[in-house]
Amino acid sequence: MLRFAPYVLKSLWRHRARTILTVSGAAVAMFVFCFVTSVQEGLERLTADKDSQRTLIVFQENRFCPTSSRLPEDYADKIDELPGVRGVMPVQVWTNNCRASLDIVVFNGAPPKKLRQARNLTLLSGSWKQFESQRDAGIVGRNVATRRGLIAGDQFSIGDLSIKVAGVFSSPSPAEENVIYTSLEFLQYTQGLDAAGLVTQHEVYLRESADPDSVASAIDQTLRAGPVATTTRRKGAFQTNTLSDLVDLIGFAHWLGYACVGLVLALVATTTVMSVQDRIKEHAVLQTLGLRPARVFCIVIAESMLLCCIGGAVGTMSALAILGAGGMAVGAEGVTIAFRPSLQLAILGMVVSAVVGVTAGTIPAFHAARAPIVDSLRQA
Amino acid sequence: MALVDIRNLTKRFRNGDEVIVPLENVDLDIEDGDFVSLMGPSGTGKSTLLNLISGIDQPDEGTVAVDGVEVTRLSRSQLADWRAANLGYIFQTHNLVPVLTAYENVELPVLLLPLSRDERRRRVELALEAVGLSDRADHFPRQLSGGQEQRVGIARAIVAHPKVVVADEPTGSLDRKTSEQIQVLLQRLNRELGITLVMVTHDSETAEIASRQLLLDEGRIMERSDHNRSEVQAVAS
Repeated sequence: MLRFAPYVLKSLWRHRARTILTVSGAAVAMFVFCFVTSVQEGLERLTADKDSQRTLIVFQENRFCPTSSRLPEDYADKIDELPGVRGVMPVQVWTNNCRASLDIVVFNGAPPKKLRQARNLTLLSGSWKQFESQRDAGIVGRNVATRRGLIAGDQFSIGDLSIKVAGVFSSPSPAEENVIYTSLEFLQYTQGLDAAGLVTQHEVYLRESADPDSVASAIDQTLRAGPVATTTRRKGAFQTNTLSDLVDLIGFAHWLGYACVGLVLALVATTTVMSVQDRIKEHAVLQTLGLRPARVFCIVIAESMLLCCIGGAVGTMSALAILGAGGMAVGAEGVTIAFRPSLQLAILGMVVSAVVGVTAGTIPAFHAARAPIVDSLRQA
Repeated sequence: MALVDIRNLTKRFRNGDEVIVPLENVDLDIEDGDFVSLMGPSGTGKSTLLNLISGIDQPDEGTVAVDGVEVTRLSRSQLADWRAANLGYIFQTHNLVPVLTAYENVELPVLLLPLSRDERRRRVELALEAVGLSDRADHFPRQLSGGQEQRVGIARAIVAHPKVVVADEPTGSLDRKTSEQIQVLLQRLNRELGITLVMVTHDSETAEIASRQLLLDEGRIMERSDHNRSEVQAVAS
């Protein structure tokens, strides 16, 4: 079959305009498909990974926005005493926008030492020492730094908050890279928050043997007698609930992804049908020379696959490049979903392109292979 | 046994309620090394007979055997393999692949055979040399004249060293001078290379270059005697 590769390539090149238009259309559609899929991947990572299932979030009962949840900081000590609990980190959350936004800035205030133990953060620049020792210092997630053009040593201000960038960090969890961490006290004493002794939420880390739902019930039960009632959920459930509007939207976008695949299918199938119709006589000549119908079938499929794969590769790689360079995220109420490139996404994009290429070419290829030779030779 | 052995060959075409029978119970033997021309009025089944010998069409009744292989019993894929190894086809309108050079067009049939790259190159170069187009190997069909295109078509038909070459009005789309060149070329291929040729033509002058001339009319084949060309002899009915 490889012996016929030059014929396949030259046939595509013969109709350059048609080939380029089809490849461009496939590229645009696969770009959108990869983008939509990356949002879904981000949501999946946020709600289904081990951390989101083995970590609990204690929030004020019947409150959803971080600005309205105000829990006593000393709840941490009571929670820490409960069986199954390995550790507790009080977190003060501040966000510039409680509604859904593509440029959400989220500050999480937490005790630096606990933060370093709890999160697997890698400083790409700057120093932990400065972060731990300087009250108004913050470490900035890589995505935020990319979006806002921040580097270690910069001063960053938003609203009433102003921090000194002590470092830029990366994290295995892409959503973390949309967060700016400061010390807990810094956020508690920020003008306007008026949150001395209060925190937005407590993050509870469990022992391996602990059942998350039982511990969550125990926490709510224990704190029921306190000044503020709580609702405790797994981190994944908490994030899904917080992002419920966005989850619905992402669910809808998922259909948009399928529509893009359908678009590529229709586009490449149309081009392949046109190509086969144009060359029905040529295919008959090839069969007269001795090409088996199966070989003609494969030649048409190869052309269709090439169109799809080139378009798919361009679209997928462009999407990955933009996702990688842009540091984009969407978020609401202090929880963010990161759009990140991934090997899985690259493979998915290419596999979908190849499958669509084969599918789009099947009917035209069958037509080319099975058309009666004599009738086809008579075509002008 | 003849190289091409046709027995009781019948082909019918339906056109609405009308049934056209261009070939009816045709018997024909073509010996190895023969150069046969087939003449006859339009619509008498000359090209149909050629297509049946080539295995690109199927008869309603009868058999076609080439070198002992009954091609009418082969599947479409088996026929393709058989054609690749045993048959060369020269088209009236050349039917070269426009995106391929003369060399690549001639190479197409040998790509299907289990030959090394060097052997393929040797055969293609020999075939192009045989038709006098070695210096046009890199030209695309659009850069060739009609006569040159047909010579490329002839080179493509002989490059795989087939047992039989069929030609469907090979000079039909050419001017007189070019037709004569093609006639000479076909004669040379038959005489010097011993290629068995079956050629359909409308032109009696072209038919006369063949060593054996057949006339097809009303579904029957008649042979024109070599000694007396005005005599038409029925050889089959």
